[in-house]
Amino acid sequence: MTDNADLEALRSEVRGFLDAEKPAGWRDASRTQEDFVQTQRGWFAKLVKAGYAIPHWPAEFPGGGRSLAEQKVIYEEIAKADCPRLLLSFVSTYHAFATLHECASEEQKAKYMPRILEGETWCQGFSEPGAGSDLAALKCKAVREVRDGQEVYVVNGQKVWSTMAQFADMCLLLVRTSSEGVKQAGITYLLMDMKTPGVSVSPIHQIQGDEEFAEIFLDNVVIPVEQRVGEEGKGWAVAQATLASERGLTLMELGYRMRGALSRVAALIREHGREQDRGVLRDFGALVSEVDAVCAIADQFLDNRIKGIERIGDASIVKNSYSRALRAYAKLGVRLGGMDEQYVKPITFGDLNTGNWMADFMNSYAWTIAGGSEEVQRNIIAERMLEMPREPKHWTL
Amino acid sequence: MIELNELTDAAQKAFPADKLSPARDASWELTAEMGWLMVRLPEDDGGLGLDREASTAIHYEMGRVLSSAPLIPAQLGLQAVVESKTLADRADWLERLSAGEYAPLHMLPAKVEVAANGTVSGTVGGVFDGDMAVAVVAMLPTGYTLIPTDAQGVELTERQIWDPSRRIFDLVLTGYAPDPALMLSDVEGAAAMHDVLGPEAHLALAADCLGGATAALAMTVEYLGMRKQFDRPIAMFQALKHRVADMKTRIVATEALLWSRARDPEAARLQIAGLKALATDVYQFVTEEMIQLHGGIGLTEEHQCHLFMKRAMLNLQLCGSLDWLNERVGQDALAEMA
Ligand SMILES: Cc1cc2nc3c(=O)[nH]c(=O)nc-3n(C[C@H](O)[C@H](O)[C@H](O)COP(=O)(O)OP(=O)(O)OC[C@H]3O[C@@H](n4cnc5c(N)ncnc54)[C@H](O)[C@@H]3O)c2cc1C
Repeated sequence: MTDNADLEALRSEVRGFLDAEKPAGWRDASRTQEDFVQTQRGWFAKLVKAGYAIPHWPAEFPGGGRSLAEQKVIYEEIAKADCPRLLLSFVSTYHAFATLHECASEEQKAKYMPRILEGETWCQGFSEPGAGSDLAALKCKAVREVRDGQEVYVVNGQKVWSTMAQFADMCLLLVRTSSEGVKQAGITYLLMDMKTPGVSVSPIHQIQGDEEFAEIFLDNVVIPVEQRVGEEGKGWAVAQATLASERGLTLMELGYRMRGALSRVAALIREHGREQDRGVLRDFGALVSEVDAVCAIADQFLDNRIKGIERIGDASIVKNSYSRALRAYAKLGVRLGGMDEQYVKPITFGDLNTGNWMADFMNSYAWTIAGGSEEVQRNIIAERMLEMPREPKHWTL
Repeated sequence: MIELNELTDAAQKAFPADKLSPARDASWELTAEMGWLMVRLPEDDGGLGLDREASTAIHYEMGRVLSSAPLIPAQLGLQAVVESKTLADRADWLERLSAGEYAPLHMLPAKVEVAANGTVSGTVGGVFDGDMAVAVVAMLPTGYTLIPTDAQGVELTERQIWDPSRRIFDLVLTGYAPDPALMLSDVEGAAAMHDVLGPEAHLALAADCLGGATAALAMTVEYLGMRKQFDRPIAMFQALKHRVADMKTRIVATEALLWSRARDPEAARLQIAGLKALATDVYQFVTEEMIQLHGGIGLTEEHQCHLFMKRAMLNLQLCGSLDWLNERVGQDALAEMA
């Protein structure tokens, strides 16, 4: 247990670091995607060096072994200081880390974890055109063969919506090795080097002008069996470890960032001379309290996790609270901005709540669709938390 | 030191969750017996000296059972006396109030005028259960004061309200001459008193809302699981499940804010006002959904849905309406983010 004095000491240490090292002007340095990637790499390296990039990793890694309470302090301070979020390395430090840490062999851990700290980035190749919310329906096919005396999987298929796959060195890949039995049972988990022949990536143009995610095409991609995590056909369980890793700290961080970004709404109200408009003040006031509630529920969620009393559905409540407030935030901005917001303004890559309100509005959908859509979260809350009956599994037309 | 969960357990035992609160007089007696009138009375004054979190927990439980005992206005009235630096017989009053005499703070605005001779005429709104009040704590233009209900020029008129779990009276003043010995503050002190009582009122009402919303949600979930249409429990329909999930989400998030504000002695007045606004909004949303998801039975007097809805609607108006509070929170946030 860390006590309060230690936490406060850590807090001022982090503040000291941020005062000195905060990447000033990072928004201006993120106007193109290439610049954004450079900015991200630089900031990640700085955080690794200072020991703040991977507080949730085990203690054997420099900067790891922090208690959840300490992690919270670090994230809070980084968010309050308005430093960039670690987006490019998000999948590597959360998803890949959790997968390796919880499910991988010692050889795999020893091989990949240090490389993440050196800046290797990962992407997540789970979703497919035919497998979104129903992820277990995935079809990307892997056949086991012996080639040049080595046991390998030969993979064919397509992945989609893979965040920053175009910059990734490695991929967390879900493939189908069998179509017998229930659909979850035939899924296998592989670690794929993105430079393997047969892998091609094509970025997807998004509605706000970003190209955050990409399609991955796999054409006879050969992946050694040693690159498999867990047993063949047991990939679904491993995937759960991957997915669980993104819940928690992230939403607390995002809540604090949204609270900070309320000042952008305030600025907009002034800019448009609406300070005396009572309707606007009401909407703003309601939003302020709603964002406060998001921060409170995210805090409570983490506290419960620290105490080990997290329950099923808690994370869904935090996520839906956040995404609802985020949408309301962006919509208020679009409304107050009026026609101004219909003229295209340059976007900042990798930033949220930018005050480019139409872009913020469009970005807010990421939170109601990705990582289990708002509707899927509602199913979890209703069926698993409130124990309402599930729908019949089978149907015929 | 009384633990919070002891307090909650005791409350749930006294007011079981499967029953709504008994009639007012019985509820009031029980409330007094539980010692809840003295929860916020400092130990030096003979009370339990518990903090906001403790009273919040009680108001939450009383909201859950739609308690008809006017504990919130009673606590606020008592706190006004505790805070008073001008009341002549302060100790005597504290003793009487903690023994069960009732001097509520009014929960709606006072619309009164002060004549040149110092007498006051007009209406002090929102006096809960005026019939059992010995006096009313009123905010007049001249400051906070205790107005004995049997004084000259004082009359109580009951107003019919939709919410059957409460009774509300107007305190009608006709040339009432305030008693200097009963002044709780002067004009200058009134603002400070208001700053103390406002957040207490808002926190208590927010707790009432969220306790009620939680009960309303549980009843709705239970009903959906029981009611069958199309050969299945209607709880199986996703259209309904999703509405219930949203009810749950909004309640839980707002409750997280309730407890974080209740535990934070530094919480600003308008932060708590914003919480009250949000909690009333959520309570209204939840009870509105509750009726719809119950179908026809939700419109019957016999079923409990309407009791929750009517209380939610009334709570929206007490100690500042939704619009009024949100506007102030917005104004304040705007000023702060200059
Ligand atoms: C910004 C962003 C980043 C992403 N990054 C990645 C990534 O890095 N790697 C990766 O593998 N994937 C990623 N995804 C994909 C993401 O996981 C999927 O978009 C998500 O699972 C939803 O799948 P879908 O888009 O196919 O929508 P669908 O599943 O087709 O959903 C369409 C609509 O139907 C609803 N719906 C579906 N099932 C149900 C149900 N059972 N009950 C009620 N409603 C339902 C949905 O809520 C939605 O409204 C990303 C997505 C976004 C938006």
